[in-house]
This record gives sequence, C-alpha cells and structure tokens, in this order.
Amino acid sequence: MKGLTPLFLGIFGTFAFSWIGLTVIPTWQIGHLNPESDEEGTDIYPRPQSGMFERGEHVYAANGCVYCHSQQVRADYIADDIERKWGNRRSAPRDYIFDRPVFLGNMRMGQDLANIGARAPAQEESPSPAGAASPAAQGAAVSSPPPSQATSPASSPAAAPVASPGTSPASAASPNASAPPGQRTGVASPSPGQMANATPGGSSPAAPSAQTPGAPWPIQTAGLPPMYSAAWHHVHLYAPRSINPDSNMPSYRFLYEKRRIGGQRSAEALQLSSSDAPPEGWEVVPTYDAKCVVAYLMGLNQSHPLKEVRSVGGAPPTGTAPAPAAPGASPAPATGGSPAAPK
Amino acid sequence: MNTTEIPLKDPAVSAAAGDTEQLERAYIDASTRVPVLMFYTSAIAWLIVGTVLAMLVSFKLHSPDLLGDISFLTWGRLRPAHMNVMVYGWASMAGMGTAVWLMARLCRTTLRFPLLLVAGGAFWNLGVLIGVGAILLGDSTGFQWLEFPRYVAVILFVAYTLMASWAVLMFRHRRGQQIYITQWYLLGAFLWFPWLYAAGQLMLFVVPVQGVLQSAVTWWYANNLLFLWFGAIALGTAYYMIPKVIGRPVYSYHLATIGFWTYALFSSWTGMTRLVDGPFPAWMITASIAATILTMIPVATVGLNHHLTMQGYFPLLRYSPTLRFTVFGAMSYTIFSVIGVLISLRSVASYVDFTEVSVAYSHLGLYAFFTMTIFGSMYYIVPRLVGREWRYGSLIKLHFWASAYGIGLMTLMLLAGGFLQGANLENPTLPFSESIETVLPYLRGRSVAGILMTVANFIFAYHFGLMLLGLGRTSTVPTFLNPVEAETSGGH
Repeated sequence: MKGLTPLFLGIFGTFAFSWIGLTVIPTWQIGHLNPESDEEGTDIYPRPQSGMFERGEHVYAANGCVYCHSQQVRADYIADDIERKWGNRRSAPRDYIFDRPVFLGNMRMGQDLANIGARAPAQEESPSPAGAASPAAQGAAVSSPPPSQATSPASSPAAAPVASPGTSPASAASPNASAPPGQRTGVASPSPGQMANATPGGSSPAAPSAQTPGAPWPIQTAGLPPMYSAAWHHVHLYAPRSINPDSNMPSYRFLYEKRRIGGQRSAEALQLSSSDAPPEGWEVVPTYDAKCVVAYLMGLNQSHPLKEVRSVGGAPPTGTAPAPAAPGASPAPATGGSPAAPK
Repeated sequence: MNTTEIPLKDPAVSAAAGDTEQLERAYIDASTRVPVLMFYTSAIAWLIVGTVLAMLVSFKLHSPDLLGDISFLTWGRLRPAHMNVMVYGWASMAGMGTAVWLMARLCRTTLRFPLLLVAGGAFWNLGVLIGVGAILLGDSTGFQWLEFPRYVAVILFVAYTLMASWAVLMFRHRRGQQIYITQWYLLGAFLWFPWLYAAGQLMLFVVPVQGVLQSAVTWWYANNLLFLWFGAIALGTAYYMIPKVIGRPVYSYHLATIGFWTYALFSSWTGMTRLVDGPFPAWMITASIAATILTMIPVATVGLNHHLTMQGYFPLLRYSPTLRFTVFGAMSYTIFSVIGVLISLRSVASYVDFTEVSVAYSHLGLYAFFTMTIFGSMYYIVPRLVGREWRYGSLIKLHFWASAYGIGLMTLMLLAGGFLQGANLENPTLPFSESIETVLPYLRGRSVAGILMTVANFIFAYHFGLMLLGLGRTSTVPTFLNPVEAETSGGH
C-alpha cells in the first residue's frame, strides 16, 4: 500500500467523475430549459409564480410536507399515477424550471400533489381566502358553488384568448390560484365538483364506506367546501380527520388563528364540522402563512401539455383548443371585477 | 498492519512491561484523549437527542394528534430535525472521533495540533445546534439531508476545514512508509466530505441549478454522504478493528485494494436510484442503477476479506464487544448493499418508490452498518482514553441485543410494510387510503422496534457516562461479554 500520489489522484478522480457525471453533465443537458409557447408566443408554460405562491413554497418547506407528499407523476406505462387522477401526463423536467426548492419527494404517505391545483373544482372562488376579493362574493362561492358557473369559462374557450393576451403581466403575477382550475374546466377526468354532487355524502364526515374503488381519495363529504377548493384545503389543513377519519396527516392548527368574532363573522372563517368547530362566538381564520400555502397548493398544476411528453387520458382539453391560453385572465371576469393582484 | 501488533493490553500495564511499541501506543492514545473524548461525548449527547426525536417521529406517524398543535413539534419539522441530528450530530461526530483516533495510531505519531480539533468540534456542535433549532422554528431549506439553513452551512464548513486541515497535517507527520488500508478510507472520507458538502451548497444555494436538477444534486449529495463519508469511515474502522481484536493481519491486501477503488468508483454514482421513474433523462437513472449493481464488487471483496480474516476466530464473537458490534456492522454492510441493488431495479422500484422501504434502506445504512461499527470502535477506544475498563459486561450485552433486535425488527417492519404499501399503491382499483391503512400496523411495529433501540442507546449513553466520570473498572483485563474460559486469550 504505497504510492501517495496515485492515492490522492484516485480519491480526487473518482469523486470528480461522479460529480461531473451526475450533476455537471445533466446541467448541460437539462439545466437551461425555457418555457414553451405556441407559434404566436402567447401560450406560455410554465410561468413564474406569484409572491404568495413563493411564500407558500417556503411554508411547505418549513413544515416538511415533502416528507409525505411527492410532486411527480410517473408515466402511465410504469405506474398507475395517471389512473389515480394525479395528472394527465407524466411530469417532465420543464414543469419544474421555476420551482425553488423542487419538491419531487420520495414518499407517499399522502397523495401526490403535482396537480393538486388542477384538481380544484371549476367554479371560481380562487381569490377566496387567499386573496382580496370582495368578501360577499367570496362567501357565496364558498358556501354554495353554483354548478352552472362551473362550466361557463370552458364553454367559451375561444373568447378567452381574445379577452386577454396571455402575456399580460397581471395574469402572470396574479396569485394564479385561479389560473389552473379555469383551464382544467371540462377536463375528461371527473371534476371533483361533479363528484361532490354524485356521491352520497352521508350525514357524518366519516364516510369511508361510501368510497367506490378507484375513486379519488378523500371523498367529498357533506357540509364541507367542494373538494380541493381553497376553502377545503383550509379545513383539511386545520382538521384533516374531519374529512377522512383515518387520515394520519398532522393538523396544522398553528397556521390558524382562533379569535372572537368581532361584529360580523369573517368571510375567511373556516367551515368546520361540530367536533372541530370553535365555541359559539368564535371563529377560526387562516394566518397569512396558511393563505400562502393554500395559494401554493392551488397553483400546483402540470396539466398544461408539453411537446416532449404525451398527455394521456380521455381528452386533455388542451389538445388543440386554445382554452388554456390566458388561464389567469379568463376566469377573472367570471368572478366579477379584476383580480387586483392581491399581494 | 504488521503481525507484531498483537491485541493490546491496558496501556498502563504495557508501560510497566517496558515494551517500547506498546509504550509508544499508550502515548499516542493518551495524546488523543481530549479531542476524541470531546467528539464522543458530543456525539452521544446528540444520539440521545436524536433518539428522543425519533420516538416522537415514529409515534406521531401513526398517532398524528399526539402533541399536534405546537408548531415546532409538528411531524414535518421533527422528522428533518431527527435526521439532521443523527447525520450531523451523532454520526459525523462519532465517526470523526474514531477517525481521529485511528489516524493518530496509524500515522504512529502523537496527536499534534489538538486545538484545531477542539475548535473544529466546538464549531461543529454550535452549527448543529443552531441548525436543528432553525429547522424546528421553521427555517428549513426544504432540501432533504441539507435542511440546515445557509448560515449554518457556513459554520459547519469552517468547523470542517479546521478538522480536515488537522488530518492533512497529521498525515504529513506520519512515521513509517506503510499506509494501511484503513488510512485510505479515512483519507478518502476526509477529502471527499468537504468537496461533497461544498458542491452541494454551491449547486443548491450559491449558484442554484435549475428545476429538477436540485433534486438530482440533493440525492447525489445524500447518497455520497452515506457512502463516501459514513460508509468510508465505517469500512476503514472495520478493517482496523477486526484484525486488531483477533490479532491476525487482514487476509488479503490485494482484495482490500480492489474493494477500495471499486467502492469509490461505483458507490459514488448510485444517487439517482432514489429517483427511478422521476422526471429525469433516462440515462442518469440507468447509470445509477448500473453503478448500484456494480457495487456488488466491493461488497463481495470486502465481505470476503473480512470473512477470511475472521475464519477460525468466530468463537471470539462470544467474548469481545468490539468484535461483535463490528462484525454485525460489516455484515449489515452486505445486507444494506444487496437490498440497495434490489430496490433500485426498475421493476422493483416502481413498487417501492414512495414507500417506507426507502426509510428502511437509510436506517440499514446509518444504523445497522455505520452506527453498530462505530459502537464497536468506541468499546475498543474509550477504555484506552480513560484508563478504565467498561464497568458492566451485562450492560454491553444488553446494548448489543437491544440494538440488534431493534434495528432488525425495524428493518423487517419497514420492508414488509413498504412492499405492501407499494403493492396497494400500484393497484388503482384500491383507493389511495388503502395503502396507508395497510402500512399503519407496520408503523406501530416500527415504534416497538424504536423502543428497543431507544433502550439500547440510553444504556450505552449511561455506560459511557460512567466511563467518563472515571467509574469504570480498574483492571488489566478488558470487559468481556461472557466469562472467558481458561484457554481463550481473545482480544478486547
């Protein structure tokens, strides 16, 4: 065992080999991806996200969501992620170019979240607790989602791009929680909103028996906001077991504030079921961090097609239709009034 | 190692015997006392902290409302806190302690520049303390294995530079031409770690890479930390302790050389196996899977070498605590690597991706392989530093069985639960919640295993505390696990 120089060279060489091989060369290959756009250069994906989204990303990191939730959809010939409605195509490197940090994750103690924003119900309550929409309108949207409204943005896809050139900075900067759902409207996958109506909710929040095989989990239960809506996420974060009694997700009550109702009940207050509900005269409202993390969740959406991967499933609505263009802007008029870029 | 190095007697006795070589070793051991004991003491303190965190993490996973409403006790913060305490607090400090002691012995020179080490160790502790506090208070970076915020990384890097420069200085002052195989591994570890840590920090924080490459860098870092830092220290330690205790040279230097270079070459390429089927160019994944399969070469050569060295001496496992823990660690290395190969294969990976199997794998590497080997070295080294023998053979025995059964049960639970979880995940006719309900009983079983490991770690900490306070036995005979029959003249 002699010969010091070969030893040092070898130690250095093996390390450099692996460093170059697994980090430097991949950086050359996929380290400088740009967003894709269509011929006119309008339909740009992915887009940089809003400030609330970014702060939500930090809340997500700080509370270790990544240790239970992955954010990557595997190809349909490898795994059944797509069959589970976790996405309509496999994830590609381009989906993540603005993510920092990236939360691919390697554990699914909970569901994959790569498209959780895309799974939100179609009706627009998006700027709801996360934004600064008028409380009245928002309250209405939360409490009784009018199903008719759900389909309206999609029914006039052609109008959307005209209405707003997708390049408007406002749409890029708006907390886009609203963006994805609009674009997903009418997607082949059963919209959770529809499911809510179809499922016999049962009177108690505990209704696992009602689950049909293959149905997305958890199931919509009566008395709760529509599944995967912003209001639903707040209830789920605050009291996961009020939605699925068997869930082992921690409760994030420290992201919420329990306070005495002063005057009028806040429009942001959570709709909690009996056991988790605050006492009479009190309400539970999200802190800013909670609003941000929900804005983040609502913004997670890889449903936009990419040239390099094949979208699967019935009919990605986006195939040739221009619907996804200007996703941020199209629902905005529907909710009435400009989004006013809540910040 | 030359054959004249017979198993050591107590340093004090050897000094009286006038044996110059043993006298020299006693001097060297004495010179390492302060820094090595400092590393060991902090490591064991971190081990206890990490164990408590581990219990919380394990119980909260199946009882989520336990201590649920407190922000710094939420599961998603406790888990990275536990992991970072174990990785940077316990494993790095303990490994460093053993590496320092081995380095001094193998360079055959008394420890110089102890201040570098003491300062480095103090800074390191400070860094880990601030880092864990930051994670619990919600300042995690979100990169797995690199959750410490940037300002902590700076402290750790300064600390590490002090310690690594010590290693290089020591190596320059070594006596004798021979460089033993253990020194290869230790030099490798001392040089790989700073490159690795710097590369990870640079590519994630200073000049961040784009998108999914952050994940590639993270897992490249994590796997290399496991193999090139912890693995290298543990293998180097095993190459020293096994021959030392049984008093017989390593079976084949040639095999050892092959084992070292193939280990360095292949294990450093395995990082992407944690992301099979992820959004990456296929060649990256395939290269990692191929490298993982090729790690069977170092596994076979190292395992064969240890086995042939031990051949005929296996009965000594009955007596020597060091040998028993070290051999357990060495065997776990083989199991760890074989399971690593199995779960990286694409057909298997699509089932075990995203399940508890990856947790089983990490614990096999960090506990069954690394920690057990380091426990073994501590049983050898500590008596030589404090001048006393371990007080209770029965406690060592209890420590061994509790930790061995604990990690064994934990691995079984997580592997079995993880495979079932994965099978249900891959069955789209079952609702997602089914996969969680399937794994929950196994997670409860894991908590039982965790109790065993907690008992083991606390026993060891207590025993170490006694040694530190000078309450060990004053004796010329090492503490054995079982009474030694007359004809056995085993080592320590």
